[in-house]
Amino acid sequence: MNLKTLKKKIRKDFGNKYQVTASAGVRTVTGESADWNEIISVCSMCVDKKHGIHVVNDVKFTGAEIKPMRLPAISDNALEGAAPDVLIIGGGISGASIARELSKWDINILLVDKESDLAMQASGRNDGEVHPGIDLSKGSLKHKYIIKGNRMYADVCKELDVPFKRCGQYVCFDQAAIKPIIRLYALKRKFVDGIDDTVVISGEELKKREPEFNGSFKYAIYNPMAGCVCPYGLTIAYAENAVMNGAKVSLNTAVTGMKVENGKIVSVSTNRGTVKPKIVINAAGVFAEDIAKMAEDRFYSIHPRRGTNSILDKKSGKLISSIASIKKLEVNSGHTKGGGLLNTVHGNILAGPDAVETWEKENYATRRESIQTVFDKQRGTVPSLTERDIITYFTGVRAPNFEEDFVIEKGRKTSNLIHCACIQSPGLTTAPAVALDIEKMAVEMLGNVKKNENYDPIRKGIPVLREMSAEERDTLIKKNPDYGEIVCRCEEISKGEIIDALNSPICVPTVDGIKKRLRPGMGRCQGGFCSPLVTKIIAEHQGIPVSQVRKSGADAVISFGKTKGGESR
Amino acid sequence: MKYDVAVIGGGPAGLAAAIEAHKNGAKVILIEREARLGGILKQCIHDGFGLVRFGKKLSGPEYAEIFIDEFRKENIEALLLTFVTNIKKLDEGFEISVVNRNGVRKLESKTLILATGCRERTAKQVSIHGTRPSGVFTAGTAQNFTNLLGELPVKKCVILGSGDIGLIMARRLTLEGAQVIGVYEAKPTPSGLTRNIHQCLHDYDIPLYLSHTVTKVFGDERLEAVEISAVDEKMNPVAGTEKIVECDGLILSVGLIPENELAESLGVKLDPKTKGPSCDGSLMTSVDGVFSCGNALHVNDLVDYVSESGEQAGRAAAKFSRAKRNRVALNAGKNMLYIVPQSIDTEADNAASTVYFRSREELGNCRLIIKCGEKTVFEKKYQFLRPPEMERITVDFSGVDSDITAEIEVAEK
Amino acid sequence: MSRLVCIVCPRGCTMEVTKNPDGSFEVTGNTCKRGRDFAITEQTMPMRTICSTAATAFPETPVIPVRVSSDIPKEKIFDVMKEINNTVVSERLGRGDTVIENVLGLGVDVIATSDVLKEEIK
Repeated sequence: MNLKTLKKKIRKDFGNKYQVTASAGVRTVTGESADWNEIISVCSMCVDKKHGIHVVNDVKFTGAEIKPMRLPAISDNALEGAAPDVLIIGGGISGASIARELSKWDINILLVDKESDLAMQASGRNDGEVHPGIDLSKGSLKHKYIIKGNRMYADVCKELDVPFKRCGQYVCFDQAAIKPIIRLYALKRKFVDGIDDTVVISGEELKKREPEFNGSFKYAIYNPMAGCVCPYGLTIAYAENAVMNGAKVSLNTAVTGMKVENGKIVSVSTNRGTVKPKIVINAAGVFAEDIAKMAEDRFYSIHPRRGTNSILDKKSGKLISSIASIKKLEVNSGHTKGGGLLNTVHGNILAGPDAVETWEKENYATRRESIQTVFDKQRGTVPSLTERDIITYFTGVRAPNFEEDFVIEKGRKTSNLIHCACIQSPGLTTAPAVALDIEKMAVEMLGNVKKNENYDPIRKGIPVLREMSAEERDTLIKKNPDYGEIVCRCEEISKGEIIDALNSPICVPTVDGIKKRLRPGMGRCQGGFCSPLVTKIIAEHQGIPVSQVRKSGADAVISFGKTKGGESR
Repeated sequence: MKYDVAVIGGGPAGLAAAIEAHKNGAKVILIEREARLGGILKQCIHDGFGLVRFGKKLSGPEYAEIFIDEFRKENIEALLLTFVTNIKKLDEGFEISVVNRNGVRKLESKTLILATGCRERTAKQVSIHGTRPSGVFTAGTAQNFTNLLGELPVKKCVILGSGDIGLIMARRLTLEGAQVIGVYEAKPTPSGLTRNIHQCLHDYDIPLYLSHTVTKVFGDERLEAVEISAVDEKMNPVAGTEKIVECDGLILSVGLIPENELAESLGVKLDPKTKGPSCDGSLMTSVDGVFSCGNALHVNDLVDYVSESGEQAGRAAAKFSRAKRNRVALNAGKNMLYIVPQSIDTEADNAASTVYFRSREELGNCRLIIKCGEKTVFEKKYQFLRPPEMERITVDFSGVDSDITAEIEVAEK
Repeated sequence: MSRLVCIVCPRGCTMEVTKNPDGSFEVTGNTCKRGRDFAITEQTMPMRTICSTAATAFPETPVIPVRVSSDIPKEKIFDVMKEINNTVVSERLGRGDTVIENVLGLGVDVIATSDVLKEEIK
């Protein structure tokens, strides 16, 4: 839509509330509104993918107070004067994978994240699907990276010692009448878009493979290359491998401002001191737009989209062995994630996520309605699915722009900046491939860099004793008896594994940090039995009182101190 | 090394089972995952245990240690800090894989007694939404922090659920200097024992709010507040009744679930009402040679009965033989929440069978009638029956030959 | 007349107590003598037991469970708690051993209710 027509249409639909201006491939929307969804509609109308035009949302939202970014409680000078070659902002899957790929080079890498651990936002709050790309058409960056990223997974996960399974994905249909259309659609995907693993299978075949599925499915599109991974496990593994190869990771570190001179970032201020990087990589997730603004290179806007997943007891794992979603007539509405069912690498079923637009980038509160929406829909796929099997649920916030595509490019106005922004689904799948491209851009930008002679792509994870043979397990316990002391009964995790996590390259000595790395507290008792034990092990290992152990961030106190004498009294 | 009886779990049920099996001549081994025997009683430092059995008000550790002392005196073999990873059914008996600080080991036993206790329902299982801050504890976890680690997990808290552990924790935390704002219960009647409402709440001026529940928690890091809502008869929150209560702790006492993952791995059938194995009068499960007792069998309110069921299972396991069984069902009929055992083996001696049951709701002036066909096997009058208070009776089932039904007839509600 | 719930045993009988002109009490609703005694004491000097923990000098067991050897006046509960909170058990006491003798002169001891400290040596 050209600008004139667009303006006319906006005026027709919304009156004079909104104005649009255009310059240098960017349409900026201004005005004022108390209706967030209306703002989303107006900005979305301004998208012009054909001409690669980006939309910047400068509409003042008056419907609620938008809270500022949450900042870490810590304030010190730990990073003062640091002058890394590359500063990566954001410790999600994007930042961590970029750090690892860049660690092949003999350069000084610093990755910062404002949270107390890696993968605390979108990368730790998604279903872990490694997408086949069945919903993507040629032309987008999502599509550009999907096949490459998907096909890299087996090797990357092997190198990083992260569990990954190619379990395949079914998109199920119960309307026989549209089968010819779906066949054509599948053929287009396969031969035009290059999603070459696509096949259509019959309802009978589906029933054979997934006996618990709805018997009324007539056929399904099947993509055997779909898989799943533990998203935070992979992020941590990437970051650990980067650290092993010389990169530095600084957690609890928020970027609070930048000094830009002559189109160049000269310094970056954080709560832990001012850093002077040669180049900056913006992988800040939902806050990428804020970073872009600080860097004076804002040409896209993020509209956060919330989604909630439920995790089911492993006992219900037999309901589905793969990934599945149900589709009605509409083939693909671009970005609405209806959610699906997925059997994780750990054998739990995940149901969800839903998709709700929100102005809150960091509100991870779950809502009753989300669970209901997801279960009502997913029972269409597996009728015996029940909320009674839920052991927990979580909410994540996606970081899409209005174009609903990634922004992976060098800064437009700021020369020493690379954007890896607006990464939403399938960002986990594409990350390994995107990281390689960003590595190229960064190396080119730095110029004249040498290989890291000591680069080792192999990262060894913490041994998983429950998956070992009796002999292997016995040998390890004989070497280290702590491996024989089970702390978490639901997930069968030993004290030795917990101590390994505390000694890992990126030590996060919190109950949630241990939980993310090993899973104590992720089972059906949700930490009821093991959380006092884990807390005690952390306190002993770190040489601190129990009252100084945290669940996650600095204020996530677990105990207020001793009941008797000392500390609290 | 082959054992006659392997007891899994070293709490009150397992201890009683092991001692009794040993006394009946069996070669016994007890496997406990924690470093010390005693199970959950180690942290139940309040008194009131053992009234039925010893006629004394003992604290949890005192009660447990009476059994532990006897267990040690009898020199019964025990593996502590040992975790059962897998149990395989053999032609004769079972192969138990365990792991501990010495390594991986396999044991063989003719019979198994599952005394694995129960676990607590969690916040998500009662549909609490909102953020995931620290400061939300199940009552048992808070009890562990307070009573075993000597740490104060909350300073100003709300308790959800009026189960006994919740009530006990209200008093414990108050004594240790925390403020308990109130106890909220979604049901219209309290879940815990009446005496606990009095000695734990009334004595300390802690209010109890019935038909109210916590619907949401707030706080990004530590808990900052909870949202309380009134609930309707179907226990669904009523919109518009939400109230925010500031607090730094939420203690959940919203029910216990028997732990039967090992049982299920052996194909043991569970009773959906008790969530424990469906057993016959000897407390043998649907799998020959596998027995169940204590809170794994059904959630008890008195430890005295936990020990009793342990002894029953221990005795039966020691005397186990591959005899022919002929089970008839013992059904929980009208007004019954559940009944244990769930069947009677007509081939066994059933002259004095111990039966536990709970009524579905609070009933006054009623009569329990157990019938086999048209024949009344047992009858007893009750002034009142309350679901939180389990009843125990001894019934003579000699001569029953077909399915039995127990029901409660109510003269007035 | 006052109504109260008996806390002597889990039965939890609801009782009614009436004071006679001669100072004696009439109790109904109880099902045993202990219930009757409880009802009467509640009218004159309510007594309660308390259970808590006391700090120890042994890091592996930071606290041990304790209780009062017999009931104390209800109004003294928090005073006794203060005494318990100020105590540190530095010997390996066992079940029934005295932690505080004749606490606050009430004629009652605070005693340990577990052998946990002794177990550690084994």
